[in-house]
Amino acid sequence: MPKEQFREADVIKKISHVSFCIDSAQEIQQTSHLQVKQKSLYNQDQDAPTRTPVQHGVLDRRMGVSQKGTKCETCNQGLNECVGHFGYLDLALPVFHVGHFRATVTILQTICKYCSRVMLKPEDAKMFSKRLMNPNLSYLAKKSIHQQVLKKAKKNTKCPHCQSTNGAVKKGAGLMKIVHEPLRGKKKTDPLVTNALEELLAASEGNKEMYQAVGPPSLIQELNPIQVLSLFKNIPKRDIPLLGMTAIDSDPCNLIVTRVYVPPACIRPSVVSEIKSGTTEDDLTMKQSEILLINDVIAKHMTSGGKIELIQEDWDFLQLHCALYFNSEVSGVPLNMMPKKATRGIVQRLKGKQGRFRGNLSGKRVDFSARTVISPDPNLMIHQVGVPDRVAKILTFPERVNTANIKKLRQMIKNGTEVHPGANYVQQKGGNFKKYLAYGNRDKVAQDLKLGDIVERHLVDGDIVLFNRQPSLHKLSIMCHTAKVQPQRTFRFNECVCTPYNADFDGDEMNLHLPQTEEARAEALVLMGNQSNLVTPRNGELLIAATQDFITGGYLLTQRDEFLTKEKAMQLATCMLSGPDACMDIELPPPAILKPRRLWTGKQIFSLIMKPNSKCPVNANLATKGKNYTTNQDLCIRDSYVIIRNSQLLCGSMDKSTLGSGTKSCIFYVILRDFGEKFATKSMWRLARMASYFMMNRGFSFGISDVTPSRKLLEEKQKLLDTGYEKCDAYIMEMKKGTLQCSPGCTPEQTLESVMLKELSGIRELAAKACFRELHPTNSALIMAQSGSKGSNINISQMIACVGQQAINGKRVPNGFEDRALPHFEKFSKHPAARGFVQNSFYSGLTPTEFFFHTMAGREGLVDTAVKTAETGYLQRRLVKCLEDLVVQYDGTVRNAIGEVVEFIYGGDGLDPVFMEVKDRPVDMDRQLMHIQANPHRNEKKIEASSIRRLAEEILSQVEYENSRSDFKNECLNYFDKVSKRIDKSQKKYQRFGKINEEIERITPGHVEEFLKEVNQKYNRAITEPGTAVGALAAQSIGEPGTQMTLKTFHFAGVASMNITQGVPRIVEIINATKSISTPIITAEIEDNTSMEFARKVKARIEKTTLGEVTSFLEEVYRNDECFLLIKLDLDRIRVLGLEVNIDTIRYSLCTSKLRLKPNQVEIHGSSMIVIEPDRQKYGNMMNVELQRLTTLVPKVVIAGIPNVSRAVIAIDEARSPPTYKLCVEGAGLRNVMSTYGVIGKQTKSNNIWEVYNTLGIEAARTTIMYEITSVMEGHGMSVDHRHIMLLASQMTSRGEVLGITRHGLAKMRESVFNLASFEKTADHLFDAAYYGQTDSIDGVSERIILGMPASIGTGLFKLLHRHEDKRVVPAPTPIFDAF
Amino acid sequence: MSGILFEDIFNVKDMDPEGKKFDRVSRLHCESESFKMDLILDINSWIYPMELGDKFRLVLATTLQEDGRPASQEYLVSEIEGSRADSFEYVMFGQVYRIEGDDSEASSRLSAFVSFGGLLMRLQGDANNVHGFEIDQKIYLLMKKLAF
Repeated sequence: MPKEQFREADVIKKISHVSFCIDSAQEIQQTSHLQVKQKSLYNQDQDAPTRTPVQHGVLDRRMGVSQKGTKCETCNQGLNECVGHFGYLDLALPVFHVGHFRATVTILQTICKYCSRVMLKPEDAKMFSKRLMNPNLSYLAKKSIHQQVLKKAKKNTKCPHCQSTNGAVKKGAGLMKIVHEPLRGKKKTDPLVTNALEELLAASEGNKEMYQAVGPPSLIQELNPIQVLSLFKNIPKRDIPLLGMTAIDSDPCNLIVTRVYVPPACIRPSVVSEIKSGTTEDDLTMKQSEILLINDVIAKHMTSGGKIELIQEDWDFLQLHCALYFNSEVSGVPLNMMPKKATRGIVQRLKGKQGRFRGNLSGKRVDFSARTVISPDPNLMIHQVGVPDRVAKILTFPERVNTANIKKLRQMIKNGTEVHPGANYVQQKGGNFKKYLAYGNRDKVAQDLKLGDIVERHLVDGDIVLFNRQPSLHKLSIMCHTAKVQPQRTFRFNECVCTPYNADFDGDEMNLHLPQTEEARAEALVLMGNQSNLVTPRNGELLIAATQDFITGGYLLTQRDEFLTKEKAMQLATCMLSGPDACMDIELPPPAILKPRRLWTGKQIFSLIMKPNSKCPVNANLATKGKNYTTNQDLCIRDSYVIIRNSQLLCGSMDKSTLGSGTKSCIFYVILRDFGEKFATKSMWRLARMASYFMMNRGFSFGISDVTPSRKLLEEKQKLLDTGYEKCDAYIMEMKKGTLQCSPGCTPEQTLESVMLKELSGIRELAAKACFRELHPTNSALIMAQSGSKGSNINISQMIACVGQQAINGKRVPNGFEDRALPHFEKFSKHPAARGFVQNSFYSGLTPTEFFFHTMAGREGLVDTAVKTAETGYLQRRLVKCLEDLVVQYDGTVRNAIGEVVEFIYGGDGLDPVFMEVKDRPVDMDRQLMHIQANPHRNEKKIEASSIRRLAEEILSQVEYENSRSDFKNECLNYFDKVSKRIDKSQKKYQRFGKINEEIERITPGHVEEFLKEVNQKYNRAITEPGTAVGALAAQSIGEPGTQMTLKTFHFAGVASMNITQGVPRIVEIINATKSISTPIITAEIEDNTSMEFARKVKARIEKTTLGEVTSFLEEVYRNDECFLLIKLDLDRIRVLGLEVNIDTIRYSLCTSKLRLKPNQVEIHGSSMIVIEPDRQKYGNMMNVELQRLTTLVPKVVIAGIPNVSRAVIAIDEARSPPTYKLCVEGAGLRNVMSTYGVIGKQTKSNNIWEVYNTLGIEAARTTIMYEITSVMEGHGMSVDHRHIMLLASQMTSRGEVLGITRHGLAKMRESVFNLASFEKTADHLFDAAYYGQTDSIDGVSERIILGMPASIGTGLFKLLHRHEDKRVVPAPTPIFDAF
Repeated sequence: MSGILFEDIFNVKDMDPEGKKFDRVSRLHCESESFKMDLILDINSWIYPMELGDKFRLVLATTLQEDGRPASQEYLVSEIEGSRADSFEYVMFGQVYRIEGDDSEASSRLSAFVSFGGLLMRLQGDANNVHGFEIDQKIYLLMKKLAF
């Protein structure tokens, strides 16, 4: 059966919305098929061969069946057909509903416990109900109005309608008890209280039983479900909306459970065990039968007039089991009632990762998929995937027979299921029966094949498949390939495609899916094809590019001294002849060296990769620095300046930056941008083949000789170590002597640590440099590091020279023993070796202590990765959930599912990050011009530099550029200005030399015209397509790099002593919109930023100074007639600190502080003495106590600075001359810092988003979010297009307040119940929705997925609006000659 | 003879001044005798070793045919054999890729850059001496050591 193509119009019924409500007892009965009364499950007759369910029992067959071979007694259908039918059971006594318990309490708090009216004044009630009855009221608004009602009604202790006294209603002790204290807060002597107590006492004296049941007389009343139910029944209809229940027939009575649904049998199947007799029943079945049992007991007690305690106890049990039935994780169950084993309630079925919402509705299991181990194959083209034939024989595609394919399909049917290009099933046109081809006469089936039949043929070469590796962190984790059926048992693909999947071949497994309709294939190929996804949307860098060996091969082949004889050159060139290119012409250029013997260079052969013959249109142009670039451009002695002109590699050896992924100077990127994806992947594939062939012949291995250091290298390393150690010793000495120059805001110890760490980390860097210098160019490790294919200079250094400083938590190894890291060292030793410096290399071997330090750092790394994966996974999920429905609309705006605008133009310019050639701009102007100039236009004359702009303007005013973007025009004109300025000088100088002048910086009118045309095209191509899921892309682009970030790195905010949280924790902090962040720092620019003195002054104004810091002494003075506190100020210190305080301001601070001092208590004597007298009247004979209090608190009084600032440090920017100063302030108080005299408020920044929002407003908060995320990303060397970060910030701030990407924030961003329920707190959202009678309009992506409908995103964004009238199709007239 | 762009006698002034980075290639810094041209040239030192102070005759031509017939783009054995190359010891084939002016005000020197499959040549000197050069021109370099 082929999967029918999805056609929306074909759907008879479309779900327009989903409403949530609470069924009343009556509705339950109406939807049910029977009442369940019997507690036993099966009939007890011994001789029956099979057990039969009891009539009216929980397993009654009228509710459907759960086993094969039995029939439903309602619809008379089997297990597969019957959908099941509901039953219901009545409870002997009403109980509270677990899910709505909180709502029940809230309602009781809102209504009067005597007259059941909502305790609001009539005018308030009128106002609120008017607002609540608004049909367009959003879910959020409704909730908030309900909160207001609750708040107002709760305050009223006297019912405005019946004047009776109401008290607080709250959850009582025990399981689901509600208590009411009507007289709470009244004095014990109040007549109301005494009367009530007396009344109770009298009642309990007369009735002993009652005394036992109720306990000693108290004013606390318990409200049991019966009472609550009767209260709820009395709530007048017009008051119900005030409770938030605005749906038409919602009724608070339904919150109390009197009748419970018994779900169909098929969702709680009984499992017949084959080993032991009997069946295993589902938790729900068991719970229901338990409830029925308790029901029976209660009914028995009630009819026989049993004891009230017994009934009460059973009632509690009934309450508990009903609660457990709904939610088995209910809290507050008394110990004696605790169920012995945990069961799964209905809530447990819904919530969590494996629950219904996330496990079955949002993600479904699929057919036509395969999974196996992956392995590499450089001979496969980039877009191919090798599929094992045994997989190909199982995955099938339903192909409809037509005249073109009937022959092929007949042969396939004949081949059957076991021979590869075969078929598994045939379905005849119009029929529903599928014929399996493993048995029977296949030849006959093939003969009978008719047009229109459907053949489920095997997967064959060229089929479109989807290929995926988990974790699917970005859209490039699932891409479309074309299949290539191969023997063996693994999936294979070209190594170039490893990067997007993040795959390696150490046992990784991947999944493969075979789309089942032609439409799905077309869409997959165009949108998900890996050729269409060479570039990551994160920043537009190439992701699919040469890796590892291909880079090494390319590097070695393009070395300046790589010469090839004719035989070798030809052999290498023929590597490219394979697959579709098997018969391609290769035009071998003349050899670079003709005499003394003919030799080709590697570069000449490499050029054939891009352009094997003159028919190939690829004329790529590139000029860029390589990894090992030194100076002098093309004359770089390491040959690391690459110039490619018209696809000829003229100089430079290719390396990672020109072949590999993650860069925009890659040759394949150039080909992609200028000639399209087909040519880019083609040349990539040619490189893969040529490089692996070249490497196979040349040989490339790694051995112990590659890591053996030479004598000279050892000497150099020793020299490095000696000088490094010497310096460290010198620092230690300085520190001991106390002459160490402290860095700002650091103690001497901290300073020492930081300089030592810097010095010691430097040693490894220097050792690496020495390695690079000393190793022979043929050293394999060196080749790999220099080409960038694998390993860095640090890896080389660690293997050959020196492993280096082991850092734990960004510091040197901490103490593991008393005052030392290991007992092998002296106490308090600061020596490098005692603090984890490893001077050996892996080759020379580590000493035991070194090894131990190395394992410490190693373990930290392991723990880090483990923690990181979990944390970033959750981060990614949250990001995607919050941003998933943001789509670019046809008007260029970015809106969410319900049409609210998040950005007016995507990213501010509407351009797609995928098409950015340079940072944030779609065209690399320099390269573009070079590319255009590579075609010399010999028939034209060179243009005057001064007239370039005029010409450009002329061209731009033509009709074809009428609708071009203005930013394109401006950028081009500005660029031409720059160019003309540059070439003007040389042009003038060489004018007199005539012909040769034509060759220097040649720009002709044709060049200008072509340039503008190309750039315009690139701009137009870069406009974001409507329907792009920019939200999802932004979420992936921010979440995916998170996985690559190391968890704990510290970055200094200008000063060494102030580090700011970086990496994943910081991203989490920003995205959660945490209110108190771990390292809040305000950077303040000061007015005179060249003066240290000025900076100090401002610092003194900001930094918190307490009175204790500037007092020389503080004395309690007791005399016969008086006692007081004497404070002597240290005026010198005040001067030294540059504080702008005097005795009067200090007195003012004392009086305004929280010490409750009155101005007349604080006296000033002279310029430095303050006397504080305690208040005589207040403290009378407790004066000493008061004095003690003052003595402890007075030194803590803030006399200058901002109270919330913990410290301020002056940051010196020494890069500039003269050095500039600014202030880094730790702590809160942006407003105060900005308004401090001397600080430039406009240039003051804070990294605390919440504070920025409160001080400067929402736009500033948005900018801060963007700035902070960008700086964290940059700190880790990750580039993310600003459009993604902008969108995230916009979404977080689009509601006018900063909303975190958390469940709380999401609840304020979304209306949809399904969306919220599929994120977190599933049950809470569902119960809430039912209470409020919420309607979900199913607009968002999650909701659509849950209900199996296409979402309005991507190709689902547009609809056909034209209503097509059903016209008869006129049969085509038969051609004249056919009639004969 | 037609097709000749430049011809002069050069002296090797320096070899690999910044260190020999490649085993089989040396970079020569030379100066011409008559036109005072500066030359930087990479040669394959394995098959054609040069010494400091060597003197050689250098010819740059657009074709190997004595009659000045333009050379084809492809590798044709017939073109190479029995041509102008016979009278030289070391012959390379390459392409002019850049002609560049001087930054300084006074001089009017020009530099022509030629790549012989990655072996670079920079000929620097008075603009009049590099007159026939064109970008993308295919070029033959012919060298012969001169005995003293």
